[in-house]
Amino acid sequence: MLITLFNAILIIVITWFAYLYFDLREKAMPAHERYSQLLRGVSSIVDRLEGYDKAHSSEIAGLSALIGEASGLNNEQLQSLNAAAMLHDIGELLLPRSIMKSNKRLEGDDLELLRTHTLLGELHLKSQIDGLDEVPSLIRWHHERWDGLGYPDNLKGEEIPVAARIIALADAISAMNTRRSYRNRQFARAEDIVAEVTRLSGMQFDPQLVKNWLAIGSPLECKPK
Amino acid sequence: MNLRLQSSWLLEAVSEVGTVDSVFFPVIHRFSALNWLSRRDFALTVNAVTASQAMILRAWLDGQNGSFSASNLQKFNQQIRNPLDLSMNPFRAWKDRWFDRQQLDYLFYWREAAFEIEEETQREIFWSAVYQIMSCWLSNRAVEMQNLCQPDELMGLILNRHGEFIRGREAKISISNCSLDELAAKEACLTVFPLMFADEETPETTLQVIFSAWQSGHDDLEHARRELKVALRKYQISIERPNDYYTFTRLSANSQITAIVWSGADLPPTLYEQELVMPLQKAFAGRYSRSRLLMKAVDRSSDSFDYQLLLY
Repeated sequence: MLITLFNAILIIVITWFAYLYFDLREKAMPAHERYSQLLRGVSSIVDRLEGYDKAHSSEIAGLSALIGEASGLNNEQLQSLNAAAMLHDIGELLLPRSIMKSNKRLEGDDLELLRTHTLLGELHLKSQIDGLDEVPSLIRWHHERWDGLGYPDNLKGEEIPVAARIIALADAISAMNTRRSYRNRQFARAEDIVAEVTRLSGMQFDPQLVKNWLAIGSPLECKPK
Repeated sequence: MNLRLQSSWLLEAVSEVGTVDSVFFPVIHRFSALNWLSRRDFALTVNAVTASQAMILRAWLDGQNGSFSASNLQKFNQQIRNPLDLSMNPFRAWKDRWFDRQQLDYLFYWREAAFEIEEETQREIFWSAVYQIMSCWLSNRAVEMQNLCQPDELMGLILNRHGEFIRGREAKISISNCSLDELAAKEACLTVFPLMFADEETPETTLQVIFSAWQSGHDDLEHARRELKVALRKYQISIERPNDYYTFTRLSANSQITAIVWSGADLPPTLYEQELVMPLQKAFAGRYSRSRLLMKAVDRSSDSFDYQLLLY
């Protein structure tokens, strides 16, 4: 009887301490950490929808942060870069499921429809959330190419904000290293990815950012975000 | 200064004040900026102030002449196995300043080889691909980045990209090559002026100057630079002194709506409102009674915003 009472009190005390611990932790958690967790949660839904076999958005955000720091971005720019990298494909949530679930490489009208995700992402975020500053614009431009042949606005070179150029580079590197529902991983070895990115420097990618990325040392590793 | 023309944003804003089925650009800063508009079902009239830019617009924007044929590619995109005689190369003065020896050989070879292409439209596609190649080489050179792609491989890649780029053209496109003094106002629902500021030369302007000289077959960049400057003399504006907007008002005389678009950096929006928007509203006051200024944040840490001023 005594043992049972002791156990009950012990359980209550442990529960109370656990409650205190979690309550205190939540109160002590900085706002930016809660913001990051929220971004991770939302981006994981997009990753799932896109059929990635890993946390693609977090990987891009980590890689973007590394390239951004190596490129001398300030704190304000790095914060926008992180938010835009985590949410870059959020417009895909607004596309028909048939497009997103397709096991084939998209062509023609379907491809054009898929490409509207940059505009949908920007428009939706802008209309729903105030105070995101340039984040929606960065989402709009994450598929622009250095040579002006990307989309949606065909911006060229330094017309593309540096943060959007970084996301485009990180997105491509991650995509080369990832299996998708319609294809296997493009490049199995890190040196092949390095060669391909270098080959596309000055066409798809900003040469200065490619240089900065190569200078990082272990170019496929990224900080968890 | 950079200029980001956001066509979907422009049409979205314009649709709130009128219906658009024809658009006129008296000047365009870069061919690919019109890609989105060329995929819409309306009449698109574009003027280029230089012959080389008009050629690029015909080859990449119009797209009616299709892509570069596989047989021409095989015939005219040969690999150069031994260096060519540099003394024969009209662009040799650019060696190590803009291009390396191998690149100069190819620039010489591609220009001459294209004269052998029978159809002019095919020749223009081939030549205009050199614009993209120069762009790639110059930007890699600016940061001392190695070019891993061999020139002939690069030409193949870009011509392949051209084929993809011209797919899905819906607009009825007219391209002209007139000086702004000779150009007449067009009947259009919307006339768009992408603003160009008379400040330091951008990498894109340098590229246009080099390409123009190359297409003319000489290495005199000052001549090409002067030609471009003269062509834009009455169009380029300054934020520091009063501007004459006569060219703008004249060219939009037959337009229901006029849009003036630009990208700002390093200056706060209020300054653009005082120095640019108010004088423009005044200049167009005789024709349009209403106006709307729209802004979009690009990078707040450097005061970068994109602007569009609608007059209707």
